Formats: sequence, structure tokens, C-alpha cells
Amino acid sequence: MYFAGVDIGSTMTKVVIIDEDEELCSKIVRHTGAEHRRLANKVMEEALKQANLPFEEISYVVATGYGRVNVPFADRQITELSCHSKGVSSLFPNVRIAIDIGGQDAKGMKIVNGNLVDFVMNDKCAAGTGRFLEVISDALGIKVEDLGSISLKSTNKVKISSVCTIFAQQEVVSYLSEGTPLEDIVAGFHDAIAGRVVRMVKRLKIEPDVVLTGGVAKNIGVVKAVRENIGLEVLVPEDPLLSGALGAAILGKEAVLKALAKGEPIPKKERRLEEATFFT
Amino acid sequence: MPVAEETKGLSRVKELYQDRPQRVKELKAEGRKVIGYLCIYPVLEMMTALDLVPYRLFGDMREPITKADACLPPMVCPFLRSVLDLALKDKYPFLDGIALAHICDVGERMAHIWRTYIDYPYFYFMDVPHTTHKAALEMFKEEIKGFQKSLESFTGKSLSSEKLKQAIGVHNDQRSLAKELYDLRKPDPPLVTGTEVLQVMVALASVPVEEGNELLREVINEIKQRKEKPQKQATRLLVWGSIIDDVSLIETIENSGANVVMDDICVGTRSHWTEVELTPDPLDGIAYRYLEGIKCPRTFREAARDPREKNYMADLESRFGYLKDYVRAWNVNGVILQSVRYCDTHGYEVPAVRDYLNTLGLPSIYLEHDYSQSSLAPLRTRIQAFLEVLG
Amino acid sequence: MVQEKKRAINRLQTMRPIRAEIDETYKANVEASKAGNPIAWAMLTIWLGDAIFHAMDIGAAYPESYGAACAASGEAQSYLDRCDEEGFPTHMCGYARNCIGYTARMMKDFGGEIPPEAPMGGMPKPAVLLSRGMSCDAGFKWFEALGRYMDVPLWTLEMPAPGVKEGLSEGVRERNVGFMTKELRDFVSFLEGIFGRKMDWDRLSQTVYDLEAIGRVWHETSELRKALPCPMHSRDFWTCMNGPSTPTGDLKKKLKLYQDLYDEVKDRVENKVSAVAHEKYRVGFTELPPWHSLKLFDILAERGWNFVVETWGYHPAVPIDLTGVNDPLERLARISYSGLTTSCFQGAAQAGEYMGFLGYPNLKYAEEYKLDGFFLHPLLSCRAASAHLWYVQDRLMQKLKVPSLMVEGDIVDVRMFDLADALKKAEAFEEIMDHYKEVRKKEGMEW
Repeated sequence: MYFAGVDIGSTMTKVVIIDEDEELCSKIVRHTGAEHRRLANKVMEEALKQANLPFEEISYVVATGYGRVNVPFADRQITELSCHSKGVSSLFPNVRIAIDIGGQDAKGMKIVNGNLVDFVMNDKCAAGTGRFLEVISDALGIKVEDLGSISLKSTNKVKISSVCTIFAQQEVVSYLSEGTPLEDIVAGFHDAIAGRVVRMVKRLKIEPDVVLTGGVAKNIGVVKAVRENIGLEVLVPEDPLLSGALGAAILGKEAVLKALAKGEPIPKKERRLEEATFFT
Repeated sequence: MPVAEETKGLSRVKELYQDRPQRVKELKAEGRKVIGYLCIYPVLEMMTALDLVPYRLFGDMREPITKADACLPPMVCPFLRSVLDLALKDKYPFLDGIALAHICDVGERMAHIWRTYIDYPYFYFMDVPHTTHKAALEMFKEEIKGFQKSLESFTGKSLSSEKLKQAIGVHNDQRSLAKELYDLRKPDPPLVTGTEVLQVMVALASVPVEEGNELLREVINEIKQRKEKPQKQATRLLVWGSIIDDVSLIETIENSGANVVMDDICVGTRSHWTEVELTPDPLDGIAYRYLEGIKCPRTFREAARDPREKNYMADLESRFGYLKDYVRAWNVNGVILQSVRYCDTHGYEVPAVRDYLNTLGLPSIYLEHDYSQSSLAPLRTRIQAFLEVLG
Repeated sequence: MVQEKKRAINRLQTMRPIRAEIDETYKANVEASKAGNPIAWAMLTIWLGDAIFHAMDIGAAYPESYGAACAASGEAQSYLDRCDEEGFPTHMCGYARNCIGYTARMMKDFGGEIPPEAPMGGMPKPAVLLSRGMSCDAGFKWFEALGRYMDVPLWTLEMPAPGVKEGLSEGVRERNVGFMTKELRDFVSFLEGIFGRKMDWDRLSQTVYDLEAIGRVWHETSELRKALPCPMHSRDFWTCMNGPSTPTGDLKKKLKLYQDLYDEVKDRVENKVSAVAHEKYRVGFTELPPWHSLKLFDILAERGWNFVVETWGYHPAVPIDLTGVNDPLERLARISYSGLTTSCFQGAAQAGEYMGFLGYPNLKYAEEYKLDGFFLHPLLSCRAASAHLWYVQDRLMQKLKVPSLMVEGDIVDVRMFDLADALKKAEAFEEIMDHYKEVRKKEGMEW
């Protein structure tokens, strides 16, 4: 049997197909853009192609993420909080705290035996999300992907005092005009974003293992800053963008196996692989 | 979401919910005087006994705040800002007067601001003590006497003990009828949704008490005879916190796959649960019920005992023990704590309530919103995730 | 010879020993606690609780002031963060967050001992808590929340807050004074019960008289500031304001110190010595100052801004006639109730101002101190001190053509206050003050 997880984030859309043993059959990552409503099925088609499977072979599709309501071919929608928790636990069985820093939000999840038991979220404020780094990289004229390696060169990171992304931008300008080394500025911002996220997650009482996931986890500078702010080792999946979709697929598998074990019908919907319309 | 058959009582409720001033406008045209009041401390029985029509003031989540910006800053309770905004926009032309109370810091300041900028034939600010100390109860009895005097002066009538006792009786009737309504939420699934109950409570706050009682009787009957009931859900929730005067939040919760079967809010149990005891001097019963009987975090209370024995758990039990009764009788398996942003009264309370709920083994989540439609969307994910945790 | 750099604000010499006295209390509390003598944590209750503590030899630490001290020293942030971690919303009072964070740290991390990083030597674990039911909800909600961390007996002291019109109604004042007197008596019984010691009523009477004497001197000092130029800057007021409201230490010695201060101020008035080099603007301030950025006032002083008066609520009660009132508790009640909260009600009612002591006194001050403008400081985390400021701004302009500058900040969280921005705004505001000076002149007003 095969199971699919579709994670429509504000920045990236991810699709993962797994088999019964939770082995990866395919994985696709694409920019969400403004057309995410129509995009989900296209990304799904790519994933099916990569796995060499027809849509009908997928036993269960779970949609998650910001755009989860716009996946007409999904059997169920589950929040990204539960999905990330499940995905991260499958990769790191001893995880207790998962932190997801996405494009436009940040989440902390408390996990016990692979299940979500408590969470905190910031989806109101850009500071402490991927957006913060985008704004800064813009202001510095550096590519977002390069921020990490640049920050590791820093020996004297600056202290960012602004709580707001907009004012932080102004601080960049003043540091630059003072001639502060680029790596110190970048490291300072990594510390700011990490500090903000960790402060929020501390409400969950942090204990090991701690896993950092989401797009921003690809930035080694942020990973380092999070480590320093928590004071504990922080694990990062090989593919931090995929833990949501992976978790979604696994939750789908669990739903199906549970139904089969009980002799109940699988809770699927009548679905076809097609574009979302406004009336879905 | 259940679809109630279009029945008389429930239709009337929906009508009143959509167009709240409907009835008071009619009454005003008939020569009655309407007194707007905020929160649940202004004494309703006195207004009723003097033939005034009490009309509870709510805000409007959908109306962007503009005029109130000149008087109240953005970092205060958005509900109160909304109420003041509507007043400044003359959305209450049918009011003959306003009765306000010291409900909270912003409520107090807003009362004085309101009075300065808008002239009403009648305006009263009731000072409410913050504790239930013996001296406070005595003071409060005198304070409500002052309120009574001001109403007498306004109406030109004197309020007899008899009439007041009568009014107490009618208001107590509404309280016990409300409990009957709430009893209909005990079965699984409940016979009535949280959304519907809130609509009923809002409707009751918009009409004179006798009319409200009649309406309640009708509604209770209709619900008992319902053929189409709400859908059974895995989760039965209690919603706690600051004022909710719009169904959108409750709807969002119920649409996420839960039954809201109980509440601890002031458009719900806090306004209707405790009756006034009929004491020889009716003011004693009234003062006690309003200050001690209403369980709102704006009043400080703790377990009564030897001052040398302070105990957090005992205090929690004294402050929130009534929640245990609600949870057991309504078979609640999760609690959503919510408040408007910047609410200090409820904000400080949240960790303590959660501590208490933990002793009951009840999972809970705290949601903050800013009394606007747009603040609901981010809540959906949190609510759904909470239900997933419970599931 | 070394040239001493001229300070922008001409600080009073006599302010220093007063400041030292106030700072001493932190150490004194720690010592007392170590010696097994009880310490209270108290909200400021305009003498009500403080006089009683003093008369019963109970030391008092003031978490509100401690919040200010932590903010000034830069240590507040860690306590604020800790409070967030404990699950409290972030919009709450900065002093409360600081204290809750501090308490969580003290009790959970150090088993009740003062944390090593605590500024000013910290506050020892209290034996009793006194909160209040007046001025703000945080006042009692915060102390209620401390129950999560320590089982310490707590009393919430009531103070009525009637509306202007209602407060002037027949019998209301006497009733409220009676209420407060009863409350105080119950509070005394409460303390007697906890500590197993009886109130020394003579000592309390003496304490109250001493406090009244200090209050009177401090009040007279404030009156002297009406002089042109103003001899004493708000910075000196803020530094010394705790003295008259918190009866710690030797009150006779304290009275002498405040008398010395009065003398120095009087001397300055006679010699027309100003608190700033060139008094170009006379400005009032309300409500809580930015403790973490007081240098703002030094910079403004260089531009000629003399802050001559501040928040009515921080000033001691306007002295009233208490002949025949012998019960010290009743004296306390009358002073606090009539003197502070309601002494302005007559004037307020006549002027059609209903905000009570939060509103009308600002108009009074503008007139009596001949203010060119008001600096209004709304605080992100204190609604009690901010909700009415827009109203105050409007009334000052409508009634007296006195403009106000609105600069936002927070009492403890320094990241919420932008000094550069504040100065920019202040600069622009100078033109506005100049303009309205002309407007007032044209309208024939006195200043």
C-alpha cells in the first residue's frame, strides 16, 4: 500500500509518497506561489510520476499546512502540528521537542511517544520566522542560502535590540554604516531569530531530544544559534522541509491500518486528482 | 451543524441575535425608557422594578474601530473600544441612559471618557469592590443603594421593597430557566449547540426580563421536541474566559469537530447561574449575589481560613471549584480558554485555571484573539491541533 | 584644575542622601530577613499598608519599585522571559512580569534564596503579601498569581474609586472612609494573626503623624516648583518620591532629609536658580517615567526642557484638616481617600471633567505650573496608566490650549522604547509648544 502526504506551506509545497514500511517512494518540493490552490494536484502528479504510481494506487492522502483546505483530492486534513510531530518522531524516535521555523510562522511541539501533546505557535509576527531572514538578506544584498555559512565566520556577533522586523532592517543599515563586519551582523540576526523562537518554545519546558525542522533549519547559522539559546544539542533532519509531508503520509498510513485492524471501512472520501476550484 | 426546524422561539432568537435593538426600539416608541448597561454588575432587578428596560451593550466584531481611536489607545480591550466606538458613531440612539460599573481598569476609564463626550439624560457609574471582604460586602450594599437612588431620581418614582422583591423573583426565574436550557446540553450529543445557546443568551440580553422568560420557555420546549439533533463529536468542550458576544468563535470551534457543551463566560453561566436570595431586606441578597455570587476573575477571592495557612491548591479549589461541577455534570473532556488580547483580568488568571484543570486531568488550550473576524483564521489551526491532541 | 562637566540637569544636593536612604532599604530587608524578621512584599498603597507594617516592625519590599530598579539596571529582561515561559501572556504589566519571573527563579531555581544576579541585592522571600484593589487590576491579580510559586498569606487592601459625580453624592465620602477604616482594621487583625504580635496603636499613631509631616514638607516642596524658573526637575522628584510613601527606617531622620531638600529648593527659588540651564519650556509628565532611559530628560534639558511637575498620583495627598480624628486608621483612610483620590472632585465636577484624579489634576497642573506642554507616556503593558492619556491630551488642548506629546514605551521592557524616535518627536514638538504659547497669549490666558 502507498500513502501520500501533501504539505502546502506559505512558501513551499511538499509532497511525499511512502510505502507500508514508511520508505520514501518519492518526494517533491515546489514554490507555493499565489496559485497554490491550483498547484497541489500538479505537484501530486509529479510525485506520482517520480514514484511510478497511478493515483488510484494511493490508499490514503492527508493534506496539511497553511493551504490544506485547498486539496480536493485529500482524504483528510490534519494540522501541520500533528504532522510535523509524527514526521520528526519517525526520523528521531526520542524526540521530545520539535521546533519548526517556516516561511511565515514558527511552531514548538511537545511530543510523547510520537504523538503531539502540547504546542505553541507564532503566526502573527514576522520576527522569528523565515520572513525575518528574507528581509535581512534583502537589506544586506546576500542570498538567503548563503546566510548560514557567512554567519559561521563571525567572532563578535552584534546584538539586535528591535523586536520588529521592520525596525531590525533599520538596525542593519546603521550597523553597515558603522562598518560592522557582515558576518557579525548576520550572526546577530540569527541569534535574534533563534532567541525569539526559543523564548516561545520554552513555554513547553524544553527537554532532549530537540529537533529543528522547517525550511529555516537548512541554515546552519540558525541551527547554531538555536543550540546556543537552548543550551542543548539540536538535531536536524537531512531534509528539514519534508517532515510535515512525511508525517502526514504516516498519519494516513496509521488511519488505514487502524481501520483495517478493526475491520472497519477506511475513512476515505470520493476524490479525483484535479485542480481546486473555489467551490470545492 | 444541526439544522433546527424553523420554529417560533428559535426563529425569534435568531432574529434578535441579528438585529439586537429591534425590541427596545419598539418599546421606546411605546414610551418606555431604555438603559444600556455593560457587563453583569449593574443591578438588573432595580431597573426592571422601576419599569426601565435594561439593554446589555455589546460591540460589533465586524465594525472597524475608527472614532474610538481618538479616545482609547489600541493596546486596550478591543471589545470595550468597539462599544465606545459604536456609541460615538451614534449606534445607540434609543438609549435614555447608561449604567456602568467598575469592571476593570479600562472599563472604568472608558466609563468616564464616555460620560465626558456624550450626554445622556441618565448616567451612573457603580463602584464595585475588588474583594468579598465583609467590609466590602457592606460597602457594596450601600453602593447599590446609591444606584437605586439615582434610578428613582431619574424615573421620579420610589422603589418599594415589594416591587423589588417581585423583580428579583422574575429575574431568578430567568436564571433557573437558563439552567434548564443548559441541562439540554448534558446528553451526548447535546440537544442544542453552543452556537445556538450563545444566540439565546444574546437575545435574552436584548429584551425585558418577562419577554426573555417567555422566549426561553418556548425555546426549551422546541429543543426538547427536536427531531434533528446536533452531530455527536468525539470532544465535548467547555469554553472559558472573557466576553463572547458573537457566535463566530464558537462556530469555528464547533465546525472543527467538537461540541461546545458548557461555558464559563459572562454571556452564559456567569450572568445566569447564581440566583438572588430573597432576604428580608432585599438589598442584602442582591449585594451578596452580585459581588460574591458572580464568579468573575475581576474579583479577588481565595479560600477562607486561618491567615497562617496559605495554600495554593485550596485557593484554586475555592476560586475554580465550580468548574469541577460543570465538567462532571456536562461530561466535558477538554477546555478552551480564550480571551481578548490585552485583557489583564483574564490574562493573569490563565496559568492558575490551567493548573486547576491539570488537577482534574483535563487538557486545555489558551487562545487569544483581538475581537475581529480576521483573528479567527489563525485560531482554526490551533483549535484543530488541540482536537487532534485530544483525539 | 579639572573642569567639572556641567550636568544638563541641575540636580539637588539634598537628593543624594534621600536616594541613599531609599536604596538602603533593599539591604535592610535582606538583613532583616536573614535575622528572621518578617518582610512583606507590598504594592504601593499610599501609606495605608506601609504605616501599619512600620508600626508592627514588618519590613517592606516594593516589587513595583523593584521592577523599576531591574529595568534601570538592565536585568529585567531575563525575568520577563522567565515569566513568559511560565505561561503568562506577554501584554501584562512589566513590573508584574519582572516580579513573577523573579519569584519563579527564586523559588524554583534557588529554593527560596535570592538569585545571585538579582539587582540591588534582591528581595528576600516574603512572609506576607499586600496587594491592593485600587489603581489597577494587575495590583491584585499579579499577587494572586504569585500563589503559584509560594504559599504566602495575601491581603488585598480595598480602596473605593467612585466616579466624580457619584463621589460627591451625599454620604458617599463618609461611607467610603468608613469602609476603608474597617478594611484597615481587618488587615491589622490579619497581620496579628499571622505573626502572633499585637499592633502597638501608639506607635501607629506616631508613625502616621510622622508620615503626615513628611508628606506635608514634600507637598510644600512641590508647591515651590511653581516658581519661574522651576528649581527642581522631575528627575529629582522621581528619585525621592518613594520616601514619603514608604515609611522605612527612621522617620524622624527622614523628615529632616526632606526638610533639607525643601530648604534647598526654597533657597533656589529665592535666588532664581533653575533646574536646567535655560528654562525654555515648562513641561509636565504623566504617568510612569521610562526608568530604563532616564537620560532622555538630560538630553531634553540641554534643549531647555524643564520638567516641573509629574503624575498627580505620585504626589502625597494634599494636606487636609484632620482635627478631631484620633484613630490612626481613620486618619490614614481620610488622607488617602479624601486627600488624594477625591480632593480634586469638586473642581473636576465644576469643570465637567469626569476622569477623576487621572484627568482633572492635569488641567490644574497645567494652569498652576504654567505648562507649555505635557509629555504623555503610554506604556504597552500598563493599561491602567495609559488608557486615559488620549483623553487627557484632548482635554488639555480643548480646555487650555496646552499641547501634549505622545511617546510610547514600556515600563520595564526597554525594547519597546525608541530613544532616537522620542527625541525626534520632541524636537518637532517644540514648534508646537511655541505655536500654542502664541495661541494662549492671543486668547488672553495667563501663560
